[in-house]
Amino acid sequence: MAKLILLLLNWIFLCCNVAAVFEDQVGKFDWRQQYVGKVRFSHFDSHMQSSKKVLLASESNVFAALNTRTGELFWRHVDKTGPEGNIDALLQHGQDAVLVIGNGHLLRSWDIGVGGMNWEMVLDPGSFRSACLVGHQGAVKHLAVLKKTVISLHYLSNGHQKWVENLPESETVDFQAVYSGGNGEVYALGVVPNSHLAIVVYSLEDGEITKQVSVEAPWLSSIPASCSVISRGLLTCVDSTTMSLYTLDLHLQLEMTQIPLQALLASFATAGEKTVVAVMAPKNKTACSINLFSAETGRRLLETTLIFTVDPNGGKPEKLHVQAFLKKDDSVGYRVMVQTEDHTLTFIQQPGRVMWTREEALSDVVTMEMVDLPLTGAQAELEGEFGKKADGLMSMVMKRLSSQLIMLQAWIAHLWKLFYDARKPRSQVKNDVSIENLSRDEFNLQKMMVLVTASGKLFGIDSKTGDILWKHYLENIPLNAAFKLMVQRTTAHFPHPPQCTLLIKDKDTGLATLHVFNPIFGRRSQVTPPALPQPILQSLLLPLMDQDYAKVLLLVDDQYKVSAFPSTKNVLQQLQETASSIFFYLADSGQGRLSGYRLRTDLSTEQVWEVVIPTETQKIVSIKGKRSNEHVHSQGRVMGDRSVLYKYLNPNLLAVVTESTDLHQERSFIGILLIDGVTGRIIHEAVQRKARGPVHVVHSENWVVYEYWSTKSRRNEFSVIELYEGMDLYNSTVFSSLDRPHAPQVLQQSYIFPSSISTMEATLTEKGITSRHLLVGLPSGGILSLPKMFLDPRRPEVISEQSREENLIPYAPELIIRTEWFINYNQTVSRVRGIYTAPSGLESTCLVVAYGLDIYHTRVYPSKQFDVLKDDYDYMLISSVLFALFFATMISKRLAEVKLLNRAWR
Amino acid sequence: MASPGGQGGGALSTRGGGGARRMKWALELSVGNTRSRSDRQGGQGDVVYPIGYSEKPVPDTSIQETDKNLVEKRCWDVALGPLKQIPMNLFIMYMSGNTISIFPIMMVCMMAWRPIQALMSMSATFKLLESSSQQWLQGLVYLIGNLLGAALAIYKCQSMGLLPTHSSDWLAFIEPPQRMEIMGGGMVL
Repeated sequence: MAKLILLLLNWIFLCCNVAAVFEDQVGKFDWRQQYVGKVRFSHFDSHMQSSKKVLLASESNVFAALNTRTGELFWRHVDKTGPEGNIDALLQHGQDAVLVIGNGHLLRSWDIGVGGMNWEMVLDPGSFRSACLVGHQGAVKHLAVLKKTVISLHYLSNGHQKWVENLPESETVDFQAVYSGGNGEVYALGVVPNSHLAIVVYSLEDGEITKQVSVEAPWLSSIPASCSVISRGLLTCVDSTTMSLYTLDLHLQLEMTQIPLQALLASFATAGEKTVVAVMAPKNKTACSINLFSAETGRRLLETTLIFTVDPNGGKPEKLHVQAFLKKDDSVGYRVMVQTEDHTLTFIQQPGRVMWTREEALSDVVTMEMVDLPLTGAQAELEGEFGKKADGLMSMVMKRLSSQLIMLQAWIAHLWKLFYDARKPRSQVKNDVSIENLSRDEFNLQKMMVLVTASGKLFGIDSKTGDILWKHYLENIPLNAAFKLMVQRTTAHFPHPPQCTLLIKDKDTGLATLHVFNPIFGRRSQVTPPALPQPILQSLLLPLMDQDYAKVLLLVDDQYKVSAFPSTKNVLQQLQETASSIFFYLADSGQGRLSGYRLRTDLSTEQVWEVVIPTETQKIVSIKGKRSNEHVHSQGRVMGDRSVLYKYLNPNLLAVVTESTDLHQERSFIGILLIDGVTGRIIHEAVQRKARGPVHVVHSENWVVYEYWSTKSRRNEFSVIELYEGMDLYNSTVFSSLDRPHAPQVLQQSYIFPSSISTMEATLTEKGITSRHLLVGLPSGGILSLPKMFLDPRRPEVISEQSREENLIPYAPELIIRTEWFINYNQTVSRVRGIYTAPSGLESTCLVVAYGLDIYHTRVYPSKQFDVLKDDYDYMLISSVLFALFFATMISKRLAEVKLLNRAWR
Repeated sequence: MASPGGQGGGALSTRGGGGARRMKWALELSVGNTRSRSDRQGGQGDVVYPIGYSEKPVPDTSIQETDKNLVEKRCWDVALGPLKQIPMNLFIMYMSGNTISIFPIMMVCMMAWRPIQALMSMSATFKLLESSSQQWLQGLVYLIGNLLGAALAIYKCQSMGLLPTHSSDWLAFIEPPQRMEIMGGGMVL
């Protein structure tokens, strides 16, 4: 019988071993959102009147051009992460944009029309300070780069150096800015903090110093932070302590003139001949007003007020990017891009109309969860009916009738909507998703994605369309905070709202706060989180529930005491009853300590085991347990002789990865420890010599897959460990780590992988019947769906009858990347940092979200869509054949009757 | 059995003529009853039997002995039928092999179904064997033959691997074990 099933499965596998999407499925259930990151520089392209580009350079080392009408990306270039790709300056002239990259290491010129690179120059080493364009006699042909000790001039057309000069007194004066007015001179501006401003003037032709002056400026400490040089050599500085504007004409170099202001933020812009400054001032709590001032005179320009409404769920304004332009009547008009603390960009037109917003915080997602949407009103009504206590027959009947009436009403409304939409052309049908009409679809494919970003902003995104349904900005998030998101109550317990808890821990102080919210609406929950005076080490979500169906969250503090949230009497009682079976482990990478604790009834803990990994030789890199919502359908594997090899499914198993501290390629190694988290028993230990991290691990079911760099062979390798109990189960009804006398059988195999990887995750389905795939995020931006079947330590080197019977693929050292395994076809996901998988209501379907600089959502079908009819299923043909057959039967029956009757008469 | 009354009539028959053309009407020129009527009323009407003619057939004692033997033989044929099929089935089994494809499956189904069908209609077979003196023995032989046939089919299923006799066939029904301890934790945040 099993053979028959195997044969069928084999057949299915052979028939449809294509994982890629069809052309007409593109964008049907997948979407991608591209981000830039926190904006550092922006430049509105003004060399053409009709241009609608804004150039952005961000702190994530991304250089992009946005459409100012829609906020969409024209093009985007993603550079290396870290200081190597750091963008120091952005200059634009005409069609060219010049970037200084990597602390003055590289000079790159881009064509802004198409986003192609013109040239690239490597500069001399030196700490970069400033750069500017140098014009002479109306034409801009050069570019000046100021470093800590030298100033150099380059040609704009090819980047070659014209001259390089040392800066005078560079030990005492901190040169911070460079400026050229278009008269054949280059001004280097240096500052001696809180004393004076030094100005050195160079000749454009040969780099001779023509003039050297100093101007008193005791309030000035840093030029880039507060000053900017505007048209015709006017240095304008904003002093935030005295709230005043200082101006200095660089050509005349007299005293600084002071203009008092009442401002929050200011930004300069030039339109034609006029230079203006946009100043933002708070109006009331929810709005700010932006006004335009003339930079020359300091007078406010009339009819230029613009109101910016501060989003209550967003941050405060941080930076203004002004696009000024001349109107037909020669007055100055402007649009402004407001950057807020939560990295949101809002582009506003007069008198306050928001043209678009971009949530750049989403370029840095830290952690996420997917939450089921609530049931529809009608379904909830039914649930409520059965949820409440029975109160008399008559009222129950009435309740039932009323709920059925509501269902009928909803059904009619649905039908009407269908009919109404069917008449409209397809492009016009908008699926207007709003928080009010969110409801679970019949296969639970649409979920709410709750994303936590590094800036402290939380997002709720509809997984079907990618629309942001809610956002919430948490203020005062420390810079290096650790986040842990947990779903305490799902939407399954109807009258109670779903509840998510975010643990935010400041790594410096160790103190943590809890943010409890409703994941569907994003609102803060009414439940008051407990105050946590002690530093928190870890948290632990128990499968126990309180009387309101909220899972109990245990917080472990630095005294190894445990506090529960919620901590009602009911919960404490339950905890006392089950305390003896609650264990937790803590890993301290710094001290190389891995220890297990058991809960006592008084909520204190006792240490049960401890494993010390000597920090001199190796350090703990990561620990992977199993996902709590993972189901394993099959308890074993069928062998070729039809016996069963039972899997070792230890829910308490931990995979600990260590890396050697010695990075020499001959001596470096990585280690994998499989430890039982309850008893501390080491189940298996593997050391990979001549190997180096970063190690990516996936731990699921009875297997651990990890990827590392082999320094010996200079290649990436995958290794898989599988654990089996053997031919018979020790205890088939309960699993207790404390009662496991036999060690499992361990099988291991390794493979060569042709690419390095960024992240790895395994697919997850509702019941675990569907075969598993590994989702591998590649640095190239592809997401590969690699069948687990290829990573199977039982793959034989010599094919036998039995292995063929088992459908084992013969061992081959190379794992090939097939192009049809890319689940994101050409939708590259830049800098994938994590992949999140969630089961859907369909057993065949797994929901996947890849996040990094971009966010990509799709569905994967590891065993094909065995429970869904295909998209191109021919309903018309099948139904018409059915109807034809039905009518043929009816007619032939009638004919047969007539014939019989006739015969009987004879 | 020809009717005595119809002897004299050279009738133009409208019935029974398999390939004969059908007439709308027919004229019977001979005197006497039409054939159709004589069919129904033959033997009782106005036909006078000759003397010494008996309506009941005279039992033929000389033939009876061999007839009984014949019945017995026929019954044994029935009873031994399933057993006789077994060599044939073995041959088919051998020829069809152990691979699972549509034809061997059909063969096996036929092989299994026939004995089962025969066993279901056992009472009808017994009625057939009623006239035999060795009815019970024959019945037993028939039963054994069919059971052997069924056993053979089961053996074939077994050798083809269609019987759930291995632990792997019951693997899907094993429930995941219940977890006794609750464990969690991780790296110090």
